[in-house]
Amino acid sequence: MPFDAGSPPLVVTLAWRNLWRHARRTLMILFAFALGVWSMVVIAAISRGSMEQQLDKAILTLTGHIQLHAPGYRDDPAIEYRLAPPDALLRAALAGREVSAWASRVRVPAVIASERESAGVTLVGIDPAGERGLSFIPAAVTAGRYLESPDDQGLVLGRKLAERLETGLGRRVVLMSQDVNNQLGDRGFRVVGLFDTQPRQAEEAYVFIGRATAQQMLKLNDAVTEIAVMIRDRDRPEATLDRLRAAAPGLDIEPWTVIEPLLVLTQKITDVILIIWYAIVFAAMSFGLINTLLMAVFERTREFGLFQALGMPPRHILGQVLVESLILLLLALLLGNLAAWATIASLKGGIDLSAVAEGMELVGIAPVIYPAWAPADMLAANALVFVLGIAASLYPAWRAARHVPVEAITRV
Amino acid sequence: MALPVGMKRYFLNLAVLVCALGAGQARAEDASAIVKAAIEYWRDVSSVAVFDMSIHRPDWQRTMTMKVWTRGNKESLVRVTAPAKDAGNSTLLLDNDMWSYNPKINRVIKIPSSMMNQSWMGSDFSNNDLAKADDLIDQYRHTLLSTERHNGRKLYVIEALPNETAPVVWGREVVKIRDDHILMEHAFYDQSGVLVKRLVTTELKMLGGKMVAARERMQKADKPDEWTEIVTREAQFGIKLPDSTFTLTNLRNPRE
Repeated sequence: MPFDAGSPPLVVTLAWRNLWRHARRTLMILFAFALGVWSMVVIAAISRGSMEQQLDKAILTLTGHIQLHAPGYRDDPAIEYRLAPPDALLRAALAGREVSAWASRVRVPAVIASERESAGVTLVGIDPAGERGLSFIPAAVTAGRYLESPDDQGLVLGRKLAERLETGLGRRVVLMSQDVNNQLGDRGFRVVGLFDTQPRQAEEAYVFIGRATAQQMLKLNDAVTEIAVMIRDRDRPEATLDRLRAAAPGLDIEPWTVIEPLLVLTQKITDVILIIWYAIVFAAMSFGLINTLLMAVFERTREFGLFQALGMPPRHILGQVLVESLILLLLALLLGNLAAWATIASLKGGIDLSAVAEGMELVGIAPVIYPAWAPADMLAANALVFVLGIAASLYPAWRAARHVPVEAITRV
Repeated sequence: MALPVGMKRYFLNLAVLVCALGAGQARAEDASAIVKAAIEYWRDVSSVAVFDMSIHRPDWQRTMTMKVWTRGNKESLVRVTAPAKDAGNSTLLLDNDMWSYNPKINRVIKIPSSMMNQSWMGSDFSNNDLAKADDLIDQYRHTLLSTERHNGRKLYVIEALPNETAPVVWGREVVKIRDDHILMEHAFYDQSGVLVKRLVTTELKMLGGKMVAARERMQKADKPDEWTEIVTREAQFGIKLPDSTFTLTNLRNPRE
């Protein structure tokens, strides 16, 4: 036998050589594939990053990972649905290792009034120290000071709301809400701090005072309306939930996925959009791939006929075309992933979209997006390109293997 | 009932007089006493009055006639009697709580805290102006700024600064009270000292046996051609009113 047609290395050698017979064509399809893979991974990183940011922001905007309420509060956040401060049993459960922060709050709808304007807000009475690591507010005060203790007499206001009320640091405003006896609970407060946050709607939505001050104003004694908990692993709240529910069976204890279903939806939408993007990019790429391979196969009709006449079984011809496509795909994946990694690494500082930020804020996207390298998305993109790429090459390969040797050789 | 109140008033007058004589010492208390006396004089032990309220805007003006019953500091009821379009609209005030009744929809509505800063019946008065008139006594620190003359009588100019935790948005208020307890002017300043609105008494009249402010105008400082004027047509003071006057039932189903 002049050559060992059965040895796989020969198939690989033939495939490799054939790939570089038309170097320009191969490089072009290689580049197209690399570009496709690059766009899949980079787009995934950017949208995943933006989504994670949105999620973190929403969780820091007074959501937390787990919230404890009196039954009924979530349907009607009114003062009627209040709960006693955590007892020893619940405190012990909250002291668990997987709980990174927790605090109790008084959160009720209220009206804030200045000399010229009034606005509906959510009044939040907080333990200033307990909110560290739990919500955005301790780090968001940019003018004046943050609250110092639960019985702090001051009030912290969003900058945008302060502008709307035509008030400012050191001025007095009046808060009005309904107290536990269904009567008007109102009190004057001096603005001691202004906070800035994203999204800007939160600046108009929340007004912060000390928890004890709020309890006094609303005649709550020591009752609160919610306990917010931050845990170490956002996506695995089940164990903590079980322990908290066992410690406080009478309370409504839910994770963020139940409290903010919209966030879960955002997550799901991101996944769906990525899959659609993958499908579109891949469809475009696969046409190119099939076309290139088919062209190569038609060019080599006589060659394949000769191979078969010399005794090469059709499955090796099929194998040859598939290996050709395999090498092409592996090279493209390598290039694409490397380029994507380089792009994401160079964007570590964030993509500044503040030029169009005003519109972005409306839909809740931060003006600076930090791409997040998600191994799962990258793996999915690679696996998809690889498996479907091979599948797409089956048709040209099958065409190549299906020639009748005599006809193929004699074709002009 | 009448005698002890009369006595009380007498002592108050005496206190004001004594304080005025001994001016210079304990000025804060004098000022507070003057304000308290003025509000008690205006409120009396009870009152029934009929007044016209005119709301003036650059392109329109309308007048409503109302009847008002008050008892003590905490209870009052206002009912619109004319024009027919508005007749029956009523407001009941019990302490800090406020209800409104509209006969067209036949519903009593409790005014929520969110609406207390809004206009009362479309006028330049806010719901709070009505509900919290008495806060001027106990939520403020008073200082006698100066004394002026008005029609041969002494006019005290008193500055009222809200307490730190008082539910008051104003930076300061300046009231001018005549020595016969009539509130001649009440000005509201914001916290940077800019005048926001002013209530001025422009006419005095003998009604129900005593001198009262018969024509008062509330005007926002930045809108010179918008105001609300209240003209008291008739008034009776110190009459006995049944408990049933100041009830939600009476708000909805007037018995008169």
